[in-house]
Amino acid sequence: MKVATDIGGTFTDLVAIDSAGRLIMEKSHTTPPNFDQGVMDVLAKSGLEPKSIEAFFHGTTTIINALTERTGAKTALITTKGFRDVLELARGNRPDLFNLVFKKPEPFVPRYLRREVTERMSYKGEVITPLNEDDIVREVAYLKKEKVEAIAVCYINSYANDAHERRTVEKIRELWPEVYVCASVDITKEWREYERTSTAVLNAYVMPTASSYIDRLGQRLTEKGISGPRYIMQSNGGTTTFDQAKVTPINVVESGPVAGVFGSSILGKLIGESNIIAFDVGGTTAKCSLIDNGEVKVTTSYYIERDERHAGYPIMAPVVDIVEIGNGGGSIAWIDDAGSLKVGPRSAGALPGPVAYGKGGTDPTTTDANLVAGRLSPVNFDMDVSMDHVRTALQEKVGGALGVGVEEAAESIIRVADSNMNNALKLISVRRGYDPRDFTMVAFGGGGPIHGPTLARELNIRKVIVPVAASVFSAWGMLMSDIRHDYIQTKILPLKDASMEELNGMWKSLMETAGTQFRNEGIPEGQAVFSFLADMRYMGQEHTVQVAAPSYPWKEEDRAELLSRFHKTHEHFYTFSLPDTPAEIVNLHLVAYGQLAKPALEEIPVQEGSIESARKETRRVFFSGDGWLDTPVYDRTKLGQGARAVGPLIVEETTTATVVCPGQKLTVDRYGDLIVETEVS
Amino acid sequence: MAEQVNINPVTLDIVKDSLIAASNEIFYAFAQTSMSPIIYETLDYASGIADADGRLLTQGNGVTGFIGMISPMICAVADKYGKENLHPGDVYIINDPFMGGGTHMSDVGMVMPIFYKGELIAFAGNKAHWSDIGGMAPGSFSTDATNMYQEGMCFSGTKLVDRGELVEPVWDLMRSNMRYPQISQGDMWGQISSLRTGEKRICELCDKYGADVVKGSMKRLIEQGESVARKRLKEMPKGTWEMDECMDDDGHGNPVHMQVKVTITDDEFLADFTGSDPQVVGCVNSGATAAYAGVKVVFMSVIGPELAVNDGVFAPLRTICEPGSVLQANRPAATSCYYESMIYVIDLVWRALAPAFPDSLGAGHLLSVCTVLMSGKHQDFGNDYLIIEPTVGGWGACRGHDGQVGLFCVGDGETYNVPVEMAETRYGIRIDEFSLHTDGAGAGEYRGGSGAVRVYRSMNDNQLFTASFGRNKWPVWGAAGGRDGSINYFRFIDADGTVSEPMGIVARRVMNKNDVVRMITATGGGYGDPFKRPPEKVAMDVKNEYITAEQAEKDYGVLVDPETFAVLGLTDERKKAAAAR
Repeated sequence: MKVATDIGGTFTDLVAIDSAGRLIMEKSHTTPPNFDQGVMDVLAKSGLEPKSIEAFFHGTTTIINALTERTGAKTALITTKGFRDVLELARGNRPDLFNLVFKKPEPFVPRYLRREVTERMSYKGEVITPLNEDDIVREVAYLKKEKVEAIAVCYINSYANDAHERRTVEKIRELWPEVYVCASVDITKEWREYERTSTAVLNAYVMPTASSYIDRLGQRLTEKGISGPRYIMQSNGGTTTFDQAKVTPINVVESGPVAGVFGSSILGKLIGESNIIAFDVGGTTAKCSLIDNGEVKVTTSYYIERDERHAGYPIMAPVVDIVEIGNGGGSIAWIDDAGSLKVGPRSAGALPGPVAYGKGGTDPTTTDANLVAGRLSPVNFDMDVSMDHVRTALQEKVGGALGVGVEEAAESIIRVADSNMNNALKLISVRRGYDPRDFTMVAFGGGGPIHGPTLARELNIRKVIVPVAASVFSAWGMLMSDIRHDYIQTKILPLKDASMEELNGMWKSLMETAGTQFRNEGIPEGQAVFSFLADMRYMGQEHTVQVAAPSYPWKEEDRAELLSRFHKTHEHFYTFSLPDTPAEIVNLHLVAYGQLAKPALEEIPVQEGSIESARKETRRVFFSGDGWLDTPVYDRTKLGQGARAVGPLIVEETTTATVVCPGQKLTVDRYGDLIVETEVS
Repeated sequence: MAEQVNINPVTLDIVKDSLIAASNEIFYAFAQTSMSPIIYETLDYASGIADADGRLLTQGNGVTGFIGMISPMICAVADKYGKENLHPGDVYIINDPFMGGGTHMSDVGMVMPIFYKGELIAFAGNKAHWSDIGGMAPGSFSTDATNMYQEGMCFSGTKLVDRGELVEPVWDLMRSNMRYPQISQGDMWGQISSLRTGEKRICELCDKYGADVVKGSMKRLIEQGESVARKRLKEMPKGTWEMDECMDDDGHGNPVHMQVKVTITDDEFLADFTGSDPQVVGCVNSGATAAYAGVKVVFMSVIGPELAVNDGVFAPLRTICEPGSVLQANRPAATSCYYESMIYVIDLVWRALAPAFPDSLGAGHLLSVCTVLMSGKHQDFGNDYLIIEPTVGGWGACRGHDGQVGLFCVGDGETYNVPVEMAETRYGIRIDEFSLHTDGAGAGEYRGGSGAVRVYRSMNDNQLFTASFGRNKWPVWGAAGGRDGSINYFRFIDADGTVSEPMGIVARRVMNKNDVVRMITATGGGYGDPFKRPPEKVAMDVKNEYITAEQAEKDYGVLVDPETFAVLGLTDERKKAAAAR
């Protein structure tokens, strides 16, 4: 049996699939700061036999928490002479344009711990100034005295030649074996020194946290008798081993959220859909990501703590491209200065939570509006919901200001929340040259199924899938994942003159690095699969587009093929191509998968007779555009394979509800997924 | 329009959000495809959507300096041709410094009327700094220009695309008069295609909600902007504040005097620049735009930097400049460094209002864009390259926090420096150093942010270096008892060891292989009495080498052990000052 546990803000989820393909789901409270306790709790609660667990998958917020709560290690930076302030100068940008008392993000390493070593590489990777090892000795002595716990090493142009960085790390390990140390090239060989330095520094900063967490969790699993291989979810949508995650913990920063996106792509493959929009609505945010032809999109332009007004910290590690907005079930509805209704980004969080939770929340949220609108049922919560409190809050904070009654206030909140989510969904689709009609939405998280079908109708998405494990879908995704490593090498080469030999040499070297990595992780050679990507642009441009490249080895005719794919991709994203302008390669990007065995899924029983037996009640429900309608409500657990119905209707389960609009067609597939056809032509 | 009474306000808000989203979309799409570093790194461009009367609805900005310039450009085109003579698919090109929100000719504006079912419903416009538009110097601006004809080609609202088709003769003429037509062609299509995206999005909104709802939401957007601005204005301190300053240099060694009187009443925010110097022979002149835009920047910062920029917000604002003055120059004045005047305007208004708005305005900052232009041939590839870039420096401290380091001046914004690793690949230079300039200036209870050091080594012969570093004579100002910061300058260290004098402005200075230029930017002003800075913070400043132990003693009155960085005590002066308080 394979087991996945996923630590979220409020709950730690467990999903397991046994040898018969049966799905087991469990939830337990998250237990900060000792998150491993929550994992052990949910394992115990699930009643799974430890010996039967053959493989253990894990998603954790430990790394992102250590970063955002600033609980990582005392970290130093060793860098090239003349460049110790790169980390503090950053890129000079001030996104909050008219704020003249703007504050930049403060560097994770203060100036006195940023140390310089004499060495220099040229942009071509030639040694201009040899590495002065005496400088390393001097600086290590200083940093010992300052009692730092972790050291990042990042030199100028190391992406072109990593010899000095590697030697420096080696030397530091000789001089001070106990200290945590990493080189920037351990994580990426992409150019841009500030971004690479920031990545290395943040990695070093969380290394001690990651090591102690992973070691402790590993030990407790062993004590419990769980002995199989252990994997941790990375931000790139694949997994890695516990050991590797201690070396490059920064690759685990978006561990949880990406698993849901990856799961969506797998679910799509199972049911024959390759173009997917993954849509995940949680308590505080809505996240969406587009999967084009089965490929989860990965980017290295990722930042933490960045928004319209804050520059944030770059992490140049591959992360699934997700658009996230502050619009979840707990997002607060409020009236702005000009009298307009807004929803989010402020959230009531888990505490006090929506008014409905009765934990002292007085600000109305999207969840509260969904209750008043009949889309959620107060009896389907695992606490007593006082509808009087909910209605009062809506009337006082929203209805009064807008001059409308409580029901119209609820309608308005839902419309604004839907509009926010609609704009995020457009951002990943139409605004990037994709037609939503070619896509299927996978809606999950507590709020995805509530809002998904309405949004799909707005956007002309034809089909919505609400998976069986909708509320623990990230954990489900982990169970289906492979090991994945991304290797990126910056090398500027005009496509016209680039030597195929040189390019193939670079691919070969990346593949060898991947091979070594897989051997260390115990992945047999036969299970390694490579995919090849090239970041390309027109000469003179700065930004690149990612092109799916031909497989290794590249032959002479692949030059024309790559060029034509590049023109097409550019035209797709930016509506034009420049066929007469020469193109160049900026990065080679190797994606290496170590394929893991996938569990088979069990089919649910066939629907016998009418679905009336599954009907819980009929109630008045508000639908945008259609108003209030008498709506039948069904119990998801009582719907069998092949069950069919036409909206308006609601399908309820313990943690969410699927709201099907008038005219939309619901069917239940053989695995129990709800399929909503939106009748968009 | 009576029918609008029946439209649900939530619907109007939803359409309004979609208009803003469309504006953001056209803004970002452009940077992604641009071939000019000044666009994709400096984000020296803006785009916006206006209603059928040319009133600005929403603007995407990469830099503050373009604030409010989209709308005048649209109005100028509409006035020139008459709205009835505009057609779907038309695009007009405009960069005339003396009409329609003109700045310098390097900023190329494009305007597109948007029609829905035959009715003119909106305009989209954008304005971007092109790498070159012809004229006497690479990059089209030169610190020694004396008239506009040296600064490139001028377009006064010329039709570039006629009903969807490029007007080939116009492009043909442009191509023959520019140094980098390939780059400009890319930027031209980038601008046109982003306007077309704007057109498409607005028509989609009309399809979905109906043209009346879209027009209603445009109206609501402007009305809401005005109502919030008026409400906030009422809450502001009222009075009159005056300030005058000299800009260091007009490009020919002469200081330029400017002055302002700001009057805030319940109904108006008035900035009057009457009394500022007449237009000058150098290129720091500006059409009326610089003062208008400069005042808008400070206005936004005090009224609410988070507010969406539209013409409603600016309703209470009024700016007065005298025709023929350096801030409202007449044709054919040179304007390629107009932005330095604009930033002096910002600095002047900022300094005048700082005591009245201590939560929004701190001490002075490096002030200048510190523009660098360098051209030549790459030592390995032999291609022509051109650097046009601003330089980061120190910002002033303000009530509650120390000054920031490594930021571009107020005229820039979401502007990115070119990474060392990219510059060395793309340009004929090696960068020997990029670090903080820790001169220890700007002492205060809150310390001014350090300036920067950026050192370029020429990797080839016959490279041309042009730079304009303002604030090169009189240092950055401190506030509320904080000390002044420092100045911007650069100097050349040639391969033979000759070291030049420090300078602020130079045009096309030849650099040969291994000649070095060392560029230094100013440290920001301090805020508050340095004797009030906690001794432990002063000791950390010494440990971090932002200041020396001597400065800790002299400026802050704190004795710090230079080995252990422990606080050893306070000087008698500091003790005396504390006792006197």
